[in-house]
Amino acid sequence: MIDNVALILGTTLMYSTPLIFTAMGGVISENSGVINIGLEGMMVIGAFTGATIGYFTGNPWIAFIGAGFAGAIFGLLHAIACVSFGANQVVSGIAINFLGPGLALFLSRIFFDGATMTLSINLDNKMPRPLSGVFSQDSFMYYFLGNRYATVYIALILVFLLWYVLYKTKLGLRIRAVGEHPTAADTLGIDVYKIRYLSVIFSGVFAGFGGAALSLAIVSNFRPTLVSGHGFIALAAMIFGKWKPQGALLACLLFGGAQGITVFLGQYDFKVSSQILSMIPYVLTMVILVGFVGRASAPAADGIPYDKEQKY
Amino acid sequence: MLRKRTILFISVLVIVLVIAGCGQAKKETKIKVAMVTDVGGVNDQSFNQSAWEGLQRAEKELGVKISYVESNQDADYKPNMETLFDAGNDLIWGIGFKMAETLGEVAKLNPEQKYAGIDCFFENPTPNLVGILFKEQEPSFLVGYIAGKMTKAKKVGFVGGMDFFVIHKFHYGFMAGVKYANPECKILAQYADSFTDAAKGKAIANQMYKNGADIVFHAAGGVGDGVIEAAKEQNKFAIGVDRDQNDLAPANVITSAMKRVDNAMFNLTEDLVKGEYPGGTNVVYGLKEGAVGIAPTSDKHVPQDILDEVDKVKEMIISGELVVPSSLEDYKKWMK
Amino acid sequence: MNKRKIYNFFSNKVFLFTLISILAGLIIGAVILLFAGFNPLRAYAIIISGVLGRFKYISYTIIKATPLILTGLSITFAFRTGLFNIGAEGQFIIGAITATAVGYFLHLPAIIHIPVVIISATIAAGLWGGIAGFLKAKFGVHEVISTIMLNWIALYFQNYLVYMDGFQKPGGETSYSIQPTASIKLFGEWKLSDAGFAWFNSNPFLRDLFKTPVNFGFLFAIVAAVIVWYILKHTTLGYKLRAVGFNKNAAEYGGINVSKSMIISMTIAGGLAGLAGAVQVMGVTHNVSLLAAMEGFGFDGIAVALIGNCTAIGSVFAGLLFGALKYGGTKIQPAMGAPSEIINIVIGTIVFFIAIPRMISLLIKRFSKKDRL
Repeated sequence: MIDNVALILGTTLMYSTPLIFTAMGGVISENSGVINIGLEGMMVIGAFTGATIGYFTGNPWIAFIGAGFAGAIFGLLHAIACVSFGANQVVSGIAINFLGPGLALFLSRIFFDGATMTLSINLDNKMPRPLSGVFSQDSFMYYFLGNRYATVYIALILVFLLWYVLYKTKLGLRIRAVGEHPTAADTLGIDVYKIRYLSVIFSGVFAGFGGAALSLAIVSNFRPTLVSGHGFIALAAMIFGKWKPQGALLACLLFGGAQGITVFLGQYDFKVSSQILSMIPYVLTMVILVGFVGRASAPAADGIPYDKEQKY
Repeated sequence: MLRKRTILFISVLVIVLVIAGCGQAKKETKIKVAMVTDVGGVNDQSFNQSAWEGLQRAEKELGVKISYVESNQDADYKPNMETLFDAGNDLIWGIGFKMAETLGEVAKLNPEQKYAGIDCFFENPTPNLVGILFKEQEPSFLVGYIAGKMTKAKKVGFVGGMDFFVIHKFHYGFMAGVKYANPECKILAQYADSFTDAAKGKAIANQMYKNGADIVFHAAGGVGDGVIEAAKEQNKFAIGVDRDQNDLAPANVITSAMKRVDNAMFNLTEDLVKGEYPGGTNVVYGLKEGAVGIAPTSDKHVPQDILDEVDKVKEMIISGELVVPSSLEDYKKWMK
Repeated sequence: MNKRKIYNFFSNKVFLFTLISILAGLIIGAVILLFAGFNPLRAYAIIISGVLGRFKYISYTIIKATPLILTGLSITFAFRTGLFNIGAEGQFIIGAITATAVGYFLHLPAIIHIPVVIISATIAAGLWGGIAGFLKAKFGVHEVISTIMLNWIALYFQNYLVYMDGFQKPGGETSYSIQPTASIKLFGEWKLSDAGFAWFNSNPFLRDLFKTPVNFGFLFAIVAAVIVWYILKHTTLGYKLRAVGFNKNAAEYGGINVSKSMIISMTIAGGLAGLAGAVQVMGVTHNVSLLAAMEGFGFDGIAVALIGNCTAIGSVFAGLLFGALKYGGTKIQPAMGAPSEIINIVIGTIVFFIAIPRMISLLIKRFSKKDRL
């Protein structure tokens, strides 16, 4: 029994990791006042770039950073639209959700001889598993952490770092100030544009990492259906977590945990059909939202373009 | 001023494009063959891709001209069929069982156009229509046999994509094969309810390996990527599907249940070129026709004596001595 | 007077921006095609002749556009009340299953059957959409989360129903087809009968046209667009909903029941997406099948609503444009081997430029300065 718990926890971590990265992307962007619906598209381009660079260089770290870089380019695009040109942020995000997959598939066909699926990276060239072989086979810790990739720990560290930056540093204070009261922040001498650019670009970086966590750790290749919906789940988790890194983390873990339980229950022959079981994670999320979390409010200036000339 | 200019500019552009479009008509004398993929797309690493490879071979060896259209939704099948019809093809393929209804209808509407469908069965095919079916249960039986012989834990697993009849052929063929080789062997089976969620496939496979299975067979598309990944990580065995998936994990994928859609496509195209298009029939491809089988890389992992036995089993299936079940009811009967 | 009117219409800023965005999308798409070694002019020519070349193509484009117009309207409606309906996808699914179930299980004369199917699908999907509105109004659950979750629940729900005994077509992965009396396809059955076949064969033009699943769906979409336009522009309900969308607090202060408005808005939005599902089933597919992934009607609807500037009329035109690009785009692969993903890049670019009117006006300023020189 205890093994099963360990396995469910392990599955939870595995499933949540890409979501955590991406949700952090949402957190940083929206705290600075820019809505980012484009997380899904940024994740796709990250997953593709990660798998491609990983395949050609054989180095997972270069691939991972490359994925972040690809995400950053889309982040920059979003920032140019939303910060410099006062775009409707939702609209720009939706555009990115079309552009990301479109470009990823287009490039894939060019790099991989017409294929929309990249070639598989072998185990040694994937992300390392730091605790592989540390625990004895069949122990609790083996099932819990033995097979987890470095991306899991990086995601957790990222959450902590982001929390620290947002709430314990001057920069974080500025980001939040820009997200709540850009006008006031401006009068205090904070460069609203610069802060927003920075936040949105990093948002792309994190979402790109999220995609790479799928294509470099959970599996070892990219295919067009790999991301299918994870970005939107991460977006939901970010809102669920009330726009806070720690809250989003919990929401992602909850979702991953529900998937773990679904897989666990699926091995038994129930009267309940597997389609109903598959609904569990989604229903559970809604129930918890209604019952325990309650009202969520975004940063005050979230979604509102800031225009220096139109102050007051 | 500006607005007028913009409008003028746009109008000119549109006119230029339209004119450019009109100057394209060319006459081809070669035989033209084209296919409509299902929603998986042409590079799905599965039957759509295999189908395209079959046509590519036909292009090389038979000198036919080939093309394809990809479908994004079920509703695309019909317009895509029409697109290829208008392009003046000699034979139009529909790939995947979902295409059957559309093919039946368009074949009726365009009696002069030849059609064929992979994984399609037609009740009363018109003379311009051929249905091609595969006995997926037969290669599944063979890989099941291999799994039953090679398992040390006497426990193997099956991960299905979605729970419906096409996947059932793999599922029960596999189970029968395992039991045939090793009656005491236990089989864990679970469906992922998805063909895309690789993480879920990985979680299910991890669970099966933890529960003692040492070989897992999948028939689950993109979910299978996760299954093979789990085998790779834990250094267990996995069995691939549709094509030889050994390249995904050379040390772990011991064999694959292959469906040679490419062979079927090539053969029928060859028939067409020769003028022997078997219109108005359903063709069933099994081991006998060499259109299904186990992967050529199987000898890397499977000992020769087991492969020899597999050959014997194969002969028995071909001769009709052994009939492989393809559904739960058949399987229950078969077990008795 | 007409001249003046037409001039005003074309000189409308929003319309102009949209045109420029579309142009920008096509140009960026062309540049990418050029980089990949394809002749963009030829690609676009293929798309244009593939959409307008024959009546049949136009018919397909309209059929393709119909559900997108309706999901676009759904998103437009919610947007106007300040709600972001990502859930059109799931509402579409609910509408489609309800239409299939009611269309298959009930046996009624067509004149009653068709409205019964449409109304029940619209109501079911409306209630489904209303859940998100209710959760937002009563529990403050953000509609983006709830609609994303509801999409997945709807997807699995459809798969669950497709497996049900008595509804699943034996040996298949689809449900039974709806009764002919629930179909809105023109000459659906007759077309395939011997008599119909003979008649159509004697008239090549009609034969060509009616090869497509010509149906009344587009009319429903137009009617729906007019109703949406009317509700938003000319009714107190529409005024209230827009007021909530414009400024929630002010609306509440002004005595408008914000919670109720949200529920109503999401219900209507859900109903519109459900109508899309119903029309697709009644006019094109006639059944629902096992879904391995989202089909994208709802997500594409978001882009349609945005390209249409979140207006009812705009959604109709944007839906047609979208349908044309998607349908025409499939033709560049077989004709010249260029990947049809380019269409997604073009659409993405169009939406991107639509997001940044300020950049476009900047460009225009430059453009007009040169004009004066």
